[in-house]
Amino acid sequence: MRRPTKACPFCESRVRFVDYKDERTLGRFITDHGKILPSRLSGVCARHQRQLSTAIKRARYLALLPYTRGLQG
Amino acid sequence: MPRPYEAVYVFDSSLEDAAVTEKVDRFHQLLGISGDTKVDHWGRRQLAYPIGAKENGYYVVARFEAEPAGIPEYERALKLDGGVVRYLLTLFEHEVGAPPMTEEELALAKKRSEDDDDDEE
Repeated sequence: MRRPTKACPFCESRVRFVDYKDERTLGRFITDHGKILPSRLSGVCARHQRQLSTAIKRARYLALLPYTRGLQG
Repeated sequence: MPRPYEAVYVFDSSLEDAAVTEKVDRFHQLLGISGDTKVDHWGRRQLAYPIGAKENGYYVVARFEAEPAGIPEYERALKLDGGVVRYLLTLFEHEVGAPPMTEEELALAKKRSEDDDDDEE
């Protein structure tokens, strides 16, 4: 069964390369615990998901995004 | 041949603004780059997680063209500087500065991803 395809939010806004400095956009693609949201849930296309994953990791290193959150200790 | 780079520096937020500007200038002098540097001061902001005892950082984003041969020395200076909490140097080619995709490219990308889907099933 083919699952219904969601439009990729990055393709829709004509983004060529996902910016690691835009933590507001990146923040939409992480879970409450800070994990990267799978493309199956967000509808991001494969190309942008690869860029997004790198961008989130860079943003985490720069302390723009948390590595984890919502966990005790 | 010079290559385009983008650097993000996170400085200790207790540094004076003038001291930060002076440090950035000093780092860029090490690379021997001239005036066509774009430096964007984001200023002080809270870190997403504490780094050591620090809760805040002073963010500076710089774009420049530099010779790759000069990079190791520049990175060494950054690592030795106590005022730099974090830094990230990335190549700027094909990256975030690229113009938005045209309709044609979008259609091509879409077609390609659909082809990929067919392979999966």
